[in-house]
Amino acid sequence: MKFQIPIGPQHPALKEPLGLKMTIEGEVIRDADIRLGYNHRGIEKVAEQKNWIQNIYLMERICGICSHSHATCYVQGAEKLMGIMPPARALYIRYMVSELERVHSHLLWLGVAGHEAGFDSFFMYVWRDREIVMDLLELISGNRVHYAINTIGGVRRDLDESQKTKILEGIKTLQKRSEYYLYIGVNEPSFVARLAGVGYLSKEQAMKLCATGPTAKASGIDRDVRKEDPYAVYDELEFDIAVADTCDVLGRTVVRIKEILQSYTMIEQMVKKLPVGDITVKAPRRPKPGEVVARYEAPRGENIHYIKSNGSDRPERLKVRAPTLANYAATIEMLKSGFIADIPLIFAAIDPCICCAERSVVLVDASSGAEKTVPMSELRRLGIERHKNSPIKRNLAWLY
Amino acid sequence: MENLKSKLQGRILELTNPDKRRIFLRVAPVELLNTVRLLHDEYGFWFVSTISGLDAGDDFEILYHFAGKETVLNLRVSVPKTDPRIDSITPVIPGAILYERELQDMFGVVVDGIPDPRPLLLSDDWPAGQHPLRKDWTFNRPPEVIPGAKS
Repeated sequence: MKFQIPIGPQHPALKEPLGLKMTIEGEVIRDADIRLGYNHRGIEKVAEQKNWIQNIYLMERICGICSHSHATCYVQGAEKLMGIMPPARALYIRYMVSELERVHSHLLWLGVAGHEAGFDSFFMYVWRDREIVMDLLELISGNRVHYAINTIGGVRRDLDESQKTKILEGIKTLQKRSEYYLYIGVNEPSFVARLAGVGYLSKEQAMKLCATGPTAKASGIDRDVRKEDPYAVYDELEFDIAVADTCDVLGRTVVRIKEILQSYTMIEQMVKKLPVGDITVKAPRRPKPGEVVARYEAPRGENIHYIKSNGSDRPERLKVRAPTLANYAATIEMLKSGFIADIPLIFAAIDPCICCAERSVVLVDASSGAEKTVPMSELRRLGIERHKNSPIKRNLAWLY
Repeated sequence: MENLKSKLQGRILELTNPDKRRIFLRVAPVELLNTVRLLHDEYGFWFVSTISGLDAGDDFEILYHFAGKETVLNLRVSVPKTDPRIDSITPVIPGAILYERELQDMFGVVVDGIPDPRPLLLSDDWPAGQHPLRKDWTFNRPPEVIPGAKS
């Protein structure tokens, strides 16, 4: 006997709206279906009506966690179209913020994973330490979420000596603590037992379904945009790609912790090598007609922007593909033959950054499988009818 | 790249290399699936980053961005606006399905042979035949009606 259960768009287990429809047999998920569009904002259309500078800030608002990654990806493309090269100091500051953002995003995820696995003290420890990196970001840019440090042709704020020492101090503390989390992640028996084997995605499947980021890396695919397409400063830095071959949620946890350990060494290298000089060059208001593909390794995977310019002060087309969309196809594969209790964990494991799903309530008749969609007005009518004659609490007569 | 040129003899309409690690290639729509298969099997382009649609006046340009180990290959096909049809590449790369569904929603390009043609991003009550990323589509906000409000 198979049942279909809708999960979301609004569901206590998911932190953001996403519509899922699970076909289940007992406790086992047989099939999953996904529906986006609950909150589609039409940013690509808006971007065609804003000028090149306004779009930096629009792109920053695509995501609330990896805001810097979209803005940087866009700025990379716009600079290439305009034919300018930012000064070395600007690039170092820009990508230092990127790596700090990766650290904060992965620490956030690690906390959420601990919470979904029922390990709440881990969640509290990790989020306490995340405050260190949030403070560093605030120190550099003045903001905790939207750093607004990019501009076309460089960055908007400079670093001084005292900030550099504070960054190095913060990184040292975080490094020590992250090593401890790596130790816990692979040694704490109950945590490992909860994560190991959940959400299996083989290497072949991951390749077929075009998974990206830590999801692909945990399935043994050693691809990273920073290595294969080393934009800006990444060919001057030493780092490794973190991979795991367990293909499950445990692997994804380990990959993320290893990735932040790599980020710490990168930040250290960048602070020590920080060149002197200007932080911006003057950018023209209009680029020449042309097109460009900009890629960026966001915390969740490959981020790609396709920008086409027609020579005016507005882009002709700005296509954004965020890494979460690339991982949805793989997630459906992971959910199959998993358990209902694993749904939040598997979903959390791709670190979804959702602004999507559907708009109405779907009622599924369990016996026939027939479905009907109920608009708000109908729900209201049903609610009034159902409660017409029921007693209100204050009118209840209590029997003594 | 030279290798690619000889392999795809006669099929290439345009091949440029404007920047480091970027290749733009244009083929005819009928050759799309064969080209994708060749790229996938012989050059190891198994990862399709995304599919971008582009409203270019009389045509829709569709770009398939393939990310390989050394380069990003952007495969471009043009379909006329009057009859926008394109073959699905999901037989070769199943992971492209979400991007093809997005393409259908946003541009109204019909993808032939797509395993799952339902709308992905647009809401259920979206009027048929409206495709927001076409250049001639503009948003008209419907007048807000507050139930029970005084007129």
